[in-house]
Amino acid sequence: MKESFFRSMTWMHTWVGLLVCWLLYLIFFAGTISFFRDEVTLWNQPALHSIQAPQERIAQQREQIIAGVDYLKATAPESGRWGIYLPTEREPQLNYAYEKPRPEGKRFGGWQDHYINPTTGDSLQQPRETKGGNFFYRLHFDLHYIDVRTARWIVCFASLFMLVALISGVVIHKRIFKDMFSFRKNKGSRSWLDGHNVSSVLALPFHIMITYTGLITLIFMLFPYPAMTAYDDGVRGLFNDVTPTNVRTKSSDVAAPLTPIDSVLDQIYTNWPNADLTRFSIKDPNKTSATITVRASTGTLVRDQTPTMLFNGVDGSLIAKSVDEYSSTEVFYDSLTALHTGRLANPLLRWLYFLCGIAGCIMIATGCIMWAKRIRERMKKDQKASFGLKLVEGLNLATLMGLPLATCAFFIANRLLPLSLTQRADKEILAFFIAWLAVALFSLFKRAKMQWYLLAWVNAVACISVPLINALTTKGNIVSYLLNSQWALFSFDLVCLVCALLFALQAKKLRTQLHTPTPTTRSNHVTKNSLVEQKA
Amino acid sequence: MYAQPVNKVPTRNPLLKLKMACKANVYALCVVARFSAAIVGGYIFTAVFTSLLSLILPLKKSDAVLLSISLTILVYSCVFIWAFAVKSLKTIWITILLTSSACGLSIALLKGWL
Amino acid sequence: MTELLQFSLCLLAFNCFALAKFNHYRDVFKARPSQKQSQQFLIAAWISILLSLLLCVIKHQGYGGLLFCGYMALSVLLLMIFYSFKPSWVKHMSVLNVVLLLLSGSYFVVY
Repeated sequence: MKESFFRSMTWMHTWVGLLVCWLLYLIFFAGTISFFRDEVTLWNQPALHSIQAPQERIAQQREQIIAGVDYLKATAPESGRWGIYLPTEREPQLNYAYEKPRPEGKRFGGWQDHYINPTTGDSLQQPRETKGGNFFYRLHFDLHYIDVRTARWIVCFASLFMLVALISGVVIHKRIFKDMFSFRKNKGSRSWLDGHNVSSVLALPFHIMITYTGLITLIFMLFPYPAMTAYDDGVRGLFNDVTPTNVRTKSSDVAAPLTPIDSVLDQIYTNWPNADLTRFSIKDPNKTSATITVRASTGTLVRDQTPTMLFNGVDGSLIAKSVDEYSSTEVFYDSLTALHTGRLANPLLRWLYFLCGIAGCIMIATGCIMWAKRIRERMKKDQKASFGLKLVEGLNLATLMGLPLATCAFFIANRLLPLSLTQRADKEILAFFIAWLAVALFSLFKRAKMQWYLLAWVNAVACISVPLINALTTKGNIVSYLLNSQWALFSFDLVCLVCALLFALQAKKLRTQLHTPTPTTRSNHVTKNSLVEQKA
Repeated sequence: MYAQPVNKVPTRNPLLKLKMACKANVYALCVVARFSAAIVGGYIFTAVFTSLLSLILPLKKSDAVLLSISLTILVYSCVFIWAFAVKSLKTIWITILLTSSACGLSIALLKGWL
Repeated sequence: MTELLQFSLCLLAFNCFALAKFNHYRDVFKARPSQKQSQQFLIAAWISILLSLLLCVIKHQGYGGLLFCGYMALSVLLLMIFYSFKPSWVKHMSVLNVVLLLLSGSYFVVY
């Protein structure tokens, strides 16, 4: 296409990046928040804020399971599915859930949750209806308002473009080690380029890892062909081969008493003496087809498949157990998914993941801003902006400034919407998209520095109002969180405040640029002149 | 790298106009053609190549599949970049179609479909 | 405490990498580095970064590798901010870095 390999890579980097940068920004943004999915969900449910993390969490698990089964036996003997969700380090509440009666033609009726404070054993009031962190988790790969499968295909191709852009970016960045720590301020598009380089280089291993592994999580949709060639029943055949606990049983209607839970628990603890159980679920309880599935935490092992045991619910015999020893290929494949989801991460690593995710957002944002800036700088004085440039600038403003505002709107809606609202969770999401749409309409109108400046202030105010509204509408606030060492909630509010500060700084910076007659164009003339000289 | 401004010469000849429009859009067409070669061609090649890989890797069946699945993205991105690095579109398509059909043929032979 | 040791080693390594470069050295010390100095910085950097990686991997295996990537990102970010905005603070930061390194290192050796 172009003369040299280097030039063709530059050309590709520009186009591949520009085509999908806004979608990628959304994916990175939502994904970065999803690293704190459980913490965000907790913040969105003030009813659960009073729970203290239990002291001897693992030691209590046996009692909690027995009590849970008793509770469910008494409350929902006819339900098709019971689930006992044990408290983890990130989710302090105990949950005894059962499936609601299935509507006609549906395969699952949804969970009826019953939250319990694990330290006191009291039932908690039903928390407000919200999607919480799960909204961002789903947005990250299912997008919203469109068919899930289409959305995933789009996300897959966007990620593929990202990977290609990353690789070509490394190729075209000749001074990768030389410029590692340099950032030149106030130099027009040169500064944007430096910002782009620094944010991509500092977390380069993370960027490549997260993009590659992200594609691997959806690989069975993108490339089912190897499994289809090797197995007659395709991907399902592979799953059945790899995970022995993946056994499907037909539901029956014949009643049969549930096996004593004690004997099942004894078997679990003889197999896994120090197990940290996370979930204990029973399918078709009180039927002849009853099965019990137990899942344990993987801890900090780089492994995605949770250790699982499957029991017969009538006679209590062990049907299947996940393999303890993986082959090296399985370890390799499985670790890829584990790296992406980061479920293994302790708080330190989780924050590092978060930091790298933000670096990714900055990388994408600076990349698309830089493109528009360069075109502007190259334009002649009296030349009119082309439609493409206007479109790019509009999308830049709408996504880069719109998404933070939409996120704030989501959290504010969580606190301000009346609790009795029907389909409250969907209304919160609606607030998210309305805020975003408002910014998009605003940027349709004009996209100059002034608009960036205004939106920076709007964002700063929105960010600061999240912890403020939280303090006004719930019992806790950022100070009480600090005093009671509720770190998840404290960090949430702190991050909001930091974002507010950053937006305020941005606004201040933009104001100085608005008042002084653009230094960027002047430096741009200098570069142009030097170019002309070189040519001459 | 970027769209070049087109000289606007007033003309009345419709044929010339059409030619000019084509010329102006040649660049855009190039971009589209290159992308479709990279995306579609890359996808076809990767799908067939990794399927073959899952059959010939000297590992347990599930291991072979998992390994080739883990490598798909690597193969795809390499082909993608190659499609942008090579000068002529024709070379790309011919290479991709030839190698893919060779891989497909070997799969068919190995599975005994022929 | 080992986490602090691993991180301060990593930070030190990247600090040395930066100081091995002509521009950054001049910004901090207001003098030209000699060829030999640059080389010494490079050697120190490589030793320190490998030590950091080794400690991470020995302590946490695969998880440690991830941590190490995170440490690298954080170190480069910190250094980028210092070198671009406050080069005069680099000296103080380096002293703090070495003190932290020694403290956490002695803790690591003792326990």
